[in-house]
Amino acid sequence: MTARGLVQLEKIVKKHGSFEALKGIDIEIRPGEFFALLGPSGSGKSTTLRILAGLDAPTSGRILLDGKDVTGADARARDIAMVFQSYALYPHMTVAENIAFPLEMAKTPKAEIAPAVREAAAKVKIDHLLDRKPGQLSGGQQQRCALARAIVRKARLFLLDEPLSNLDAMLRLATRVELKKLQRSLGVTAVYVTHDQEEAMTLADRMAVFREGEICQIGRPADVFAAPNCIEVAAFIGSPPMNLLTTRSTAGGVLIGGRHVPVAASLEAGRAVVVGVRPSAVRFDPAGIPVTVEVVENLGDAAILDLTLDGTPLRARYDRFPLPREGETMAVSFAPEDIHLFDPTTGRRI
Amino acid sequence: MKGHKLRLALLLSVSGLFLLAWIFPIFWSLLNAFKSEQDVLAYPPKLIFSPTLAAFRDVLFGPTSIVPNLVSSFIISIGTTIVTMVLAIPAAYALARLRVPGKKWSGFYVLATQMLPPVGIIIPYFLILRDIGWIDTYQGIILIYLSFSLPFAIWLLVSYFEDLPFEMEEAAFIDGASRLMTLWRIILPQVRGGVAVTVVFVFLNAWNEFLFAVVLSGNVVRPVTISMFNFVSVEQTLWSKLAAVSALAMLPVIILGIIAQKHIVKGLTVGAVKGGGRR
Amino acid sequence: MTKATTLDVPVGGRADPARMMEGRERRFAAALLAPAFIALMATTTFPLLHLGWTSLHRMDLAMPFMDGFVGLDNYRELLGDPRFWSALGVSLVYTFSTVILQVVLGLALALLVNGMKRGQALFRIVAILPVVLSPAVVGMVWRTFMLTPEFGVVDYLSMTAGLGSHNWLGDPSLALFSVVVIHTWQWTPFAFMVLLASLAALPEDIYEAARIDRASPWLCFVRITLPLLRPAIVMVIIMRTMVALTAFAAIFTVTGGGPGTATEILNLYAYRKSFTELSIGYGSALAVALLIFTLVITGVLFALRRAK
Repeated sequence: MTARGLVQLEKIVKKHGSFEALKGIDIEIRPGEFFALLGPSGSGKSTTLRILAGLDAPTSGRILLDGKDVTGADARARDIAMVFQSYALYPHMTVAENIAFPLEMAKTPKAEIAPAVREAAAKVKIDHLLDRKPGQLSGGQQQRCALARAIVRKARLFLLDEPLSNLDAMLRLATRVELKKLQRSLGVTAVYVTHDQEEAMTLADRMAVFREGEICQIGRPADVFAAPNCIEVAAFIGSPPMNLLTTRSTAGGVLIGGRHVPVAASLEAGRAVVVGVRPSAVRFDPAGIPVTVEVVENLGDAAILDLTLDGTPLRARYDRFPLPREGETMAVSFAPEDIHLFDPTTGRRI
Repeated sequence: MKGHKLRLALLLSVSGLFLLAWIFPIFWSLLNAFKSEQDVLAYPPKLIFSPTLAAFRDVLFGPTSIVPNLVSSFIISIGTTIVTMVLAIPAAYALARLRVPGKKWSGFYVLATQMLPPVGIIIPYFLILRDIGWIDTYQGIILIYLSFSLPFAIWLLVSYFEDLPFEMEEAAFIDGASRLMTLWRIILPQVRGGVAVTVVFVFLNAWNEFLFAVVLSGNVVRPVTISMFNFVSVEQTLWSKLAAVSALAMLPVIILGIIAQKHIVKGLTVGAVKGGGRR
Repeated sequence: MTKATTLDVPVGGRADPARMMEGRERRFAAALLAPAFIALMATTTFPLLHLGWTSLHRMDLAMPFMDGFVGLDNYRELLGDPRFWSALGVSLVYTFSTVILQVVLGLALALLVNGMKRGQALFRIVAILPVVLSPAVVGMVWRTFMLTPEFGVVDYLSMTAGLGSHNWLGDPSLALFSVVVIHTWQWTPFAFMVLLASLAALPEDIYEAARIDRASPWLCFVRITLPLLRPAIVMVIIMRTMVALTAFAAIFTVTGGGPGTATEILNLYAYRKSFTELSIGYGSALAVALLIFTLVITGVLFALRRAK
């Protein structure tokens, strides 16, 4: 039971005609891990999940589950469970029948089905709704029913395709926490597809960031946040996203607003670079580079300031009150350790 | 304001006239079925008379009873419906949901078979059935009825299958169901309504068919639409009995039509809105 | 299964997984489709080929000793057959007049009823009645209770209106008119129901915007309703044309093609030739001609649909 749920995707390519939806994906997911596939829509994360589930076949490449090649196997031969974005509950069956369906298909003895259904329903707190039809449930209850149906069979792999995106904001936060607890208590490997970087950051042990059919970066969320390895990841992770300024390097630093700003990395002078600074890393310092406040977005406990620095926009997080007024002039500085540098031609981190 | 009222009255009377024009022939023949032969023949036509069930009694229990004809019509219609559905449901599911080799052509083929003039099919059919001795048999007539009921049923069912979300089947596959099990346990229960509507229309079309029945009927297969002619001849017409037979022939389809009234536009236009296979 | 020795994308040696998966799906689909397709081929395609073959023969059930392959003789005979050309003409008149009447009346009534606040349900129910009935029964009811001289209701109304009694089905000049009216009576509700459904589905706000722009009701109809309804109208025209071209039962019941050949459409001619006069070979050639005629008209209609 302990070592179940090792997933290896090797050089997965998926073509739709001449269009390459996936351009060679390599992922290894460890048993018991909560792994997120993160990326904007059309980036290939859902395609990857469908290939892993056996709903689509890759054009080339291999899929191994617990070391066994399942590339050509049907979904039902793979011993996996999945929660769909739309939940895909069977509308003509009661909640209990929905949850029992995977067990029935696995030819579980009748006597064992009812207790297993009740146990799974209790885990997601819908054991009082077993006789209802899906149409009589709220969105949150439907989502739980889909979860129960997925966990009842104790499959080795648990796939979740944007399972929270149809819930309203409050419920989404609460369910997120429960989902994490559930996965921990079951100890099952989970693969989670989302376009919401906050969900991936909070839920995942590790994540893969997708872009245009390729994986930009795989790593722990904190590591990806701290050191995005390309411009795309930098622009995608974090809210609000990282500021990216195109400029040139100087000896031991970069040019920002006409001033030399020292950086940690060693750079030859005079090359084009993209400088990334997180809004939370912008420091307000009267001795710094002058900026103009354009718009103030008050979040209550802090504010996002839309600034212009020498004509280029810059966003900063600001948590000192009173807040500055729009049109006011302030000054900012950057610490060398907060500056991310990228190559503008390759997009890679320097 | 006055002109407005005048227009309204005009519109009402025009639409009322249409309503009357549609109801009257049906109503009138039904009415005549409840008249005695003398009342039917009365001229000018009589709206008020003492109703009698004599005509129905005669055509049902008299010497020229049409009960065997009604039974024949039911056997043909029910038989056609069962065979059609057994063949059409799997085919429609495949066309609507699966990757089918040459799908576009399959869809077009099904559509094209609907355009064949029945007269063009009945001639070879008559020759073939004559050779194998299937004229005036139920298997013969049900087989040829498939030529129009099957394409119709496939297209109507495809439209219902297409309304279901794909994720429903994918969830079932992941839950460990085979394709056949998924069709049986997950898909079919959800298109029950569509299947019911299709059954109604297939039955209705089989009941109403005439050309094939005229050529292929005999002593065994003799549907009620053909039996009407027993009551009209050059020498004399048995008016009230004819009215009663018409009423009995109309009754099942009118009931079915009213049951399926919400779906009738869809049933009438199926296949015409979109043509050819999709996905 | 042999294990791939390198981690490169495997080229040979083992089956492409996508093909394997699709192959399973295709086989399943083929198994589901096969029975229906075999039945369809047996009941439509095979008879069609048989028909074409028969049309190249002389086949006379009354004189079987004369039967034999005659090549295109039947077709040659057909081109010089005045009854064929007359039937073609009757078919054209019958088809075009019934289709135009159905669409015009159906559209007018749909517009009328669509504007009603109450009573729409009544129209919808009544419209179902003619459409679900067997054309044979409809024909019989009209032939007897409506059109019999000095007995039928229509004749009574005609006499009351001072137009006199007429032999509606026996008079060659009236018979075609009568069968056109019967067909129109039965199928106008079809056009009405389809067009009413399309009208009801038109967005309300367009009309509100037009009213704010001070468009007159007539302008609204010509500039908004008609263009939006065009696809539905074209669909009705195509479907009704197909049905009118295959019409058989009502005319067979009402006039049998008569008097003489006054109401003999191509369908009826092919039927009479084959099953009354028992010239199956020539009847088959007529049926093929009918098929070609149907295809040409369908082709024209679909071209019209694509145009504009």
